[in-house]
Amino acid sequence: MSVATGHPLRALVVALAALVGALLVVVFIALLVGSADLSVGAVLGALLGRDGPDSVATVVTLSLRLPRILVAALAGGALAVAGVAFQALTRNPLAEPSILGVSNGAAFGVVLAQIFGLGLDVLAALGLAAFAFAGALVAAGAVYVIAAAGAGIAIQTLLLSGVIVGIFFSSAITVLISIVDFNRLGGVVHWLLGNLAPVPPGALLVFAGLAAIGFWLVVGQARELNVLALGEEAATQLGVNAERLKLRIFGGAALLTASAVAFAGPIGFVGLIVPHLLRGLLGQDNRLLLPAALIAGAAFLLLADTVARNVIAPAELSVGVITAFCGAPFFVYLLRTRYRAEW
Amino acid sequence: MTRLLTLAVAFVLLATADAPALTVRDMQGREVKLAAAPQRIVSLVPSATEMIFALGGESRLVGRTDFCDHPEAVRGVASVGGMINPNLETMVTLKPDVVIVTSSGNRQETFDQLTRLRIPVYQVNAERIAEVKDVARRLGALTGRDAAVGPVIDRIDRRVAAIREAVKPYGRPRVLYVLWPDPLIVPGSRSLVTELIGIAGGDSITAADSQDYPRYSLEAAVAKGPEVIVLANHGSRGSGPIALDRWKRLTSLPAIKHGRIHSVDGNLLHRYGPRVLDGLDQLARALHPEAFR
Repeated sequence: MSVATGHPLRALVVALAALVGALLVVVFIALLVGSADLSVGAVLGALLGRDGPDSVATVVTLSLRLPRILVAALAGGALAVAGVAFQALTRNPLAEPSILGVSNGAAFGVVLAQIFGLGLDVLAALGLAAFAFAGALVAAGAVYVIAAAGAGIAIQTLLLSGVIVGIFFSSAITVLISIVDFNRLGGVVHWLLGNLAPVPPGALLVFAGLAAIGFWLVVGQARELNVLALGEEAATQLGVNAERLKLRIFGGAALLTASAVAFAGPIGFVGLIVPHLLRGLLGQDNRLLLPAALIAGAAFLLLADTVARNVIAPAELSVGVITAFCGAPFFVYLLRTRYRAEW
Repeated sequence: MTRLLTLAVAFVLLATADAPALTVRDMQGREVKLAAAPQRIVSLVPSATEMIFALGGESRLVGRTDFCDHPEAVRGVASVGGMINPNLETMVTLKPDVVIVTSSGNRQETFDQLTRLRIPVYQVNAERIAEVKDVARRLGALTGRDAAVGPVIDRIDRRVAAIREAVKPYGRPRVLYVLWPDPLIVPGSRSLVTELIGIAGGDSITAADSQDYPRYSLEAAVAKGPEVIVLANHGSRGSGPIALDRWKRLTSLPAIKHGRIHSVDGNLLHRYGPRVLDGLDQLARALHPEAFR
């Protein structure tokens, strides 16, 4: 109780300052490295607008690297916060957008929207996000209904439901593409691994706006989420409207997931790795965890993407490959060590 | 006064030189605005890369993909990565005047990104021999090698005619062409390979399928009783036919009974570059060995 009711403001300030520092370092690295061999001076010159608008340094820095950095940071932050939210909501430490199948639901929505011809103009981007949100809600709802069929939700039941819903939506995507245009399958498979690319400014604003709404929906309820950790009955006794809270968190986490998937593809495991590392450092308090996850998620995914961009240059890896290589062993580790007793 | 006039004329000339001097249509019918005759070309299409070399336009080729592996001299051209994941930064660094892409093999995403960066994109694609010649004409114009186009097209016409002539006296076997064994991918109605099988004196049993490269059911293929099975291999190092054993087990097929199972080089037949003629030659010899004794 002391954690839930105490004043963690100082801890929050210190943690956020440290994380913002780390994020800035990663941003700086990401700006400087890439397959175009630009010097530090050239990148700084481009940032300050000293080069002409058509110089290689300006185009690479401002039109390629910077937008991609923003997409990576937004997507990473959104997915990490969604992870914390789903974990608090389900009281299951292994819950996460991709493991719960919610990312796949959103991805199905995105592919459907793309088949209807929605691209990345501002209006189309909103439509794309709306389809992704609908997909995420359907998937998350399905997981909840399947898992809640028995009494209470055991960890393994929830995870299995997530896996099943995820498989269903992956298959649905494959069907969709095979019917519509088999040639595109290769490209979609690439995207499904989670693929960061520069997004035009208008669509980027849509992304940022939606992620902000999702973050607000979740972070405003951080204290209530702490109480929910004691159990629904206890939370109700302490004056928390558990049903309303759950609905709001559910919507917020789905929106965060959907916006990340719409603009960056279904990148997995960010919502698992980042919250767990932060819990090790900061404890269980959601008032600390949620803002910290936003910044740490941004730094983590940006770092992963910087690796993906450079490790086999000039070709590029999908960033989802990097997060999965980190995340899958991490998942197994968590399963084998911390949560064994509960099985 | 004359001096002023000269100055005015010079100014007008300069101004017009700066405006888009060249608007061309690509094979999708899209208008492509080029600043001038392109001097720096990036090709994301192996077929186009080969064609540019065949036309002698390689001095303007500044970028290619990892899959552009022919001719040998292509190794001297910088690679921008794969066909579906080329590196945008590398492409920008190469300062291309135009990037050659294809609708089958590259991603729409790549196309959109280049357009956003205001890099002109020129689409090519060929599903017929006539379109292969069109690709030659277009790439000849883009690389300023119009003079080299005639001979390349003549060569295509002559060899196609020669092969038609050579196989003419013989019957036309039912052919199953296997692009990929698992899942079974075959050439459909809108694919160059289907036309090549016809020229080589065979009838493709999958020619009626409306897709360009459909995924086919093995049962349907077997039911059509192919008399010749042609397996495309994809390794440049001359690897054998793919999954040969699986086909040999289907002993009731006429093709297997008579030992008519052959392999051809997919890199020749699936690219609409100049080497497609060598592929056609392999195909004709596989279908009608008696015509080439």
